[in-house]
Amino acid sequence: MFSTTILGQVFLNGLSLSAIYVLIALGFTLLFGIMKVVNFAHGAFAMSGGYALYYLYGVLGWPYLPAILLSALFVATGALVLEFLVFRWFYQKMFQSMIGLLGLNIAMVFASVILFDVYERSIPPALDGVLQFGELVIPTDRLLVVAIAAVVLLVFWVFMSFSRYGLAMRAAAQDIEIAETQGIRTRQIYRLAFFIAIFMAALAGGIYAQIYALSPFMGDRPLTVAFIVVILGGMGSIPGAALGGVILGFGESFLSTFYGSAASSFVSFGVVIALLIVRPWGLLGTPE
Amino acid sequence: MWSRLLKAALVGLSLISCACVPAAAQDVLKIGGIGPLSGGGTAWGLAVQRGVEMAVDEVNKAGGLTIGGKTYQPKLVMFDDQYTAAGGRTAAERLINVEGVKYIIGPIGSPSALAVVPIANEAKVIVLSNGYAADILRKSGEGAYNFRAMNSNIEFGPAMIRWLHERHPEIKKVAIIVTNDATGQAILPTLGADYKAAGIEVWSESYERGTKEFMPLLTRMLTQNVDLLDLNSNAPGEAGLLLKQARQVGFKKMIWQVGGPSVDEIISIAGPLANGFLSYDVFDFNDPGAKSFVDTYRAKWSGVINAQTPGWYNATKILFKALQEAGSLDTDKVRDALVKIEGYDGIYGPVTWGGKADYGIAHQLLNKFWITEVKDGAPHALTVLTPEKK
Repeated sequence: MFSTTILGQVFLNGLSLSAIYVLIALGFTLLFGIMKVVNFAHGAFAMSGGYALYYLYGVLGWPYLPAILLSALFVATGALVLEFLVFRWFYQKMFQSMIGLLGLNIAMVFASVILFDVYERSIPPALDGVLQFGELVIPTDRLLVVAIAAVVLLVFWVFMSFSRYGLAMRAAAQDIEIAETQGIRTRQIYRLAFFIAIFMAALAGGIYAQIYALSPFMGDRPLTVAFIVVILGGMGSIPGAALGGVILGFGESFLSTFYGSAASSFVSFGVVIALLIVRPWGLLGTPE
Repeated sequence: MWSRLLKAALVGLSLISCACVPAAAQDVLKIGGIGPLSGGGTAWGLAVQRGVEMAVDEVNKAGGLTIGGKTYQPKLVMFDDQYTAAGGRTAAERLINVEGVKYIIGPIGSPSALAVVPIANEAKVIVLSNGYAADILRKSGEGAYNFRAMNSNIEFGPAMIRWLHERHPEIKKVAIIVTNDATGQAILPTLGADYKAAGIEVWSESYERGTKEFMPLLTRMLTQNVDLLDLNSNAPGEAGLLLKQARQVGFKKMIWQVGGPSVDEIISIAGPLANGFLSYDVFDFNDPGAKSFVDTYRAKWSGVINAQTPGWYNATKILFKALQEAGSLDTDKVRDALVKIEGYDGIYGPVTWGGKADYGIAHQLLNKFWITEVKDGAPHALTVLTPEKK
């Protein structure tokens, strides 16, 4: 069973799963890292990204790249209204944000049920071929996800590490009062961080809906994945989200292939519980 | 002014009551309906409601149903069972004890049917239900008042597998991927036994309901060198993803579904990768013979016609025929008439009862069914099969 072909396939499956998981977790960890907001509505924003991509790419037939970027942009822009009405009251309030945003999630999901009905639909794939190397098979749509995840991760890292706004965000995350005394307008910085986080949630949601299926309830699984990845990597840590995504993706691919899906779920949650006991701040997080 | 208005109102009322007199001359014959009208199974419940209503409308348009020289006006009384046992029990008790119904069409799901059947048999009420659980018929015993109006996997499974085996004797090993819950555990033994009876080895694996990522599981399947993947009774969303991802991990052999039917949803999810997929199907809406059914439906409702609607229409028509043959509303006589009306031309052809060997009573309607193939992104009827009478 451990033939090179199967191991190669396990590696490729792991790579594509990791890419999806990293994309999903980035926006979630950013909101927590900067504003200490546990975004339970993350899945609902991912779902909104899915519907936006469905209409722009699937119905209106726009070219794929502009469609996926603009769909995420539309969702993030529209979400600024929710930032004004809901989110800004929960900044730096971790526990209140959990319950408040859980309510927002339910409201968004059932608003979508009314708007779009409950039936699952599909977004046409951007690429539907399969590449074959010997006996190894790679679906081209998964390769595209790996490429998008790599680019997004790189751009995001460059922005956070080298731009003035990235620096301001990190400063606000470390100590909001000191950041304000240094002249950083934290209200604006928070709004920018919110915008980027929702942009990434919607982008990930569009890709997720395209690979799997689109329905108002599709956000539940991305939310669970974001939680596991972020707890593994460390709440609020960007490199942690990347590491957590890779561990979960490869772990799931290996365990599901060789031991079945029940073993895989059992081990992923088992590891998270164990980690919360021995290292509650995650692999790359910082202890409070 | 007020006295004139009052007079006008009185005249109006008397006119209305006069208009009602001819209708009141016919007795109303209540037909109970049970099915999910809320939650995830709503489309199936609407299939019961609309199928029965179509048969009722047809009879009323023709002047009513004459039973033993008296003409009745059938009327549907429908209750929501929410696809649950508790909902089914409440619906049956209300229909029987409050509404005084003697004939019930539905329920559609096993949990509800298993709850309704004992109550109905105790009260000597006729039930024409669906539901895949064998116990719906097996536990009723000789002389029961319940019948099953749709095929279950026990009826269509062996016929489909025999058909496949005759055309593809090279298929030696099948993968059956099921949910790790009661549904999966109920399906695997019967379906597995059908394949084994045809000399086909079975490899099975289970997954948690709601899973979206099947590629690791399907890679596991690739190591087993199976010749066929059977999506059995998996929900449409999951069956569609299993089909799509099986093709994406490089599985090139046949994929089909002995269960469902959910061909349209599967095509929508798997896109071009659905081509070549075969599935069980309960009706061919493209058949010229189905045109009048489709037209009648469209005159009243819009949207997708659920594939089970013709089956419920058929069940109601068979019940009406049995009532006429019995010449009485007495349910003992109607039950005996139902058993005897073999050969009556229903929507699936002549009525045939079977199931004696499998359930101990021949109360299973054997409906012809279709095997549908996806070609160029659209379903096409490949063949029509009839379950074996056992």
